[in-house]
Amino acid sequence: MFKLAWRNIWRNKGRSIITIAAVMFCVIFAVVLRSFQVGVWEHMVGDIVANNFGYLQVHQKGFWADQSLDLSMDETTLDWDAMENVPGVRSLVPRLESFSLVSTGESNRGSLVLGIRPEEELSGLRLTDQLIDGRLFEPASNEVVVSEGLAEYLHVEVGDSLMFLGQGYRGASAFGQFLVSGIAKISNPELNKQLVVLPLETAQWMYNAMGLLTTVVVDLEPNADFAEVKASLEPLLGADFELLDWEQLFPELVQTIEADMAGGQIFVTILYFIISFVLLGTVIMMVSEREREFGILVSIGMRKTTLAAVTVLENLMLLVGGAVVGMAVVKPVQFYFKYNPIDLSGQMKDAIEQFDFEPKLYTTTSFIINLNHGAIVFVIGVLVSSYAVWKIMKLNPVKSMRA
Amino acid sequence: MSKPVIEVKNLEKVYEGAVPVHAVNGISLTITQGEFTALKGPSGCGKTTLLNMLGGLDQPTAGSIAIGGADITTLSENALIDFRLRNIGFVFQAYNLIPVLSAQENVSFIMLLQDRPKEEREARAQQLLEAVGLKGKEDKRPGQLSGGQQQRVAVARALASKPQFVLADEPTANLDSQSTANLLDIMERLNKEEGMTFVFATHDDRVIKKARRIISIEDGKVLSDD
Repeated sequence: MFKLAWRNIWRNKGRSIITIAAVMFCVIFAVVLRSFQVGVWEHMVGDIVANNFGYLQVHQKGFWADQSLDLSMDETTLDWDAMENVPGVRSLVPRLESFSLVSTGESNRGSLVLGIRPEEELSGLRLTDQLIDGRLFEPASNEVVVSEGLAEYLHVEVGDSLMFLGQGYRGASAFGQFLVSGIAKISNPELNKQLVVLPLETAQWMYNAMGLLTTVVVDLEPNADFAEVKASLEPLLGADFELLDWEQLFPELVQTIEADMAGGQIFVTILYFIISFVLLGTVIMMVSEREREFGILVSIGMRKTTLAAVTVLENLMLLVGGAVVGMAVVKPVQFYFKYNPIDLSGQMKDAIEQFDFEPKLYTTTSFIINLNHGAIVFVIGVLVSSYAVWKIMKLNPVKSMRA
Repeated sequence: MSKPVIEVKNLEKVYEGAVPVHAVNGISLTITQGEFTALKGPSGCGKTTLLNMLGGLDQPTAGSIAIGGADITTLSENALIDFRLRNIGFVFQAYNLIPVLSAQENVSFIMLLQDRPKEEREARAQQLLEAVGLKGKEDKRPGQLSGGQQQRVAVARALASKPQFVLADEPTANLDSQSTANLLDIMERLNKEEGMTFVFATHDDRVIKKARRIISIEDGKVLSDD
């Protein structure tokens, strides 16, 4: 039966090649489209979440909603050893973060002030790779690293002084004068416009919050499932703490991703509708051309179910063939644009930067997308073949032989 | 006396419409083992309709058809397909071979449907193709064979399932004189040497001359049976 189906495919080479090509280009187009869509978000989530904020964060209960230093936690109240021993946890990263007015005397801006230990930080905030001028601050010094966008806005250079003015822990005043030791380009545009980074101990001193942390970022092992790690960590934290995952930390990001993916899904659905009708046209023509032959086969003793199975097999071989070729051809494209993203320019770049997104189009190399679209084509093949099955099952051999 | 292969009683086929057409109108006949019978008559007389009903391809409006003693008018669709596969060989006017299969594969195909072992299929297909004079043409596809050769492959295919009888609907209509003579010689030889029963629907005088029994049909009734 396989041999019969295979030969039937090639009885009309032109049509078969056109069908395979149509499926192939449909899969290529759909996979490229989804790869860019998923790739951009994957990169953005990777940048914002994995490199800067972490997939999980521990706070004093209510901190994330209020963003108040008064909801800081005493670092000695956490069971650091137990938390670090949870499978999937690579390290715990302490931070103290707040807002201050940062001034040069001539200009000022409300800024995010982040106290960190660079050697313990996530890759996006280790700062060694991000520095574009100067050097990293010395531990527990009065030195700061300023993000590129903020430095441009304040017109400061390495060696200049900055004044900080804000509110510290439990109403205390927080102020200080700091030396700019370096300027860093932070990949996340939002952070790049407003971030000042200084040693954790210096931040604690300025905000009158010695021994206090606002955030402990849970850095995960590669491929660790954040939901599983979260479930393991929760019992180790008391009722005074909150453990939030990235979807809870950035619900607006999740909503934006979902809205964008839904838009792309609609586009791909329309594409598949078009290709479904192209394929249905092919099947209708095939059934029409071979109606007489179907009648002969049933007359000489071939069961309709067997004949239908051969016909479905033919269609699936055509469609799966096209899909497999498409999935293979598109793979190098996915790899190329993952490592060579498209730089957007002009109005498109401005529009995207307004939303604090990086104006670059990346692809994902996840094979799941390719498999999903292969599966969609398979389902379309089965659905389209159902027309042939329906025609065969209601076939009258005498009438068909007169066709 | 030979045993009956086909027994038809009071067979009727009415095509409903504004004016009902009685294509077959009360035919009764018996075909016995080893007959070489021609159903003759003008176009539209009902011979093809009768042949289709004998082959289980069409259902009668009334009457019964017994093949080897079994009434086929009561069988389900699948049972009827299986019955045709194991008991009836067909030769059609337009050959109706499967274009993507070679001559040998066309002959083997029906045995594949019968789940016969590969070795048996190949051996019998070769033997039948040799019997119809197509030795050396086993690997040719229908498009590479002449009309006469294709019809000979169709005869070999009809015999491949070891049927009780072969029904042939205008088997020579598309053939030239030489091919017709060759085909009729082959079928006559198979009839005489192997005792295969042949029933033709035809208005070709060359076939009618070879037949040992001629049933004339007109307006859906048997006019004469010689």
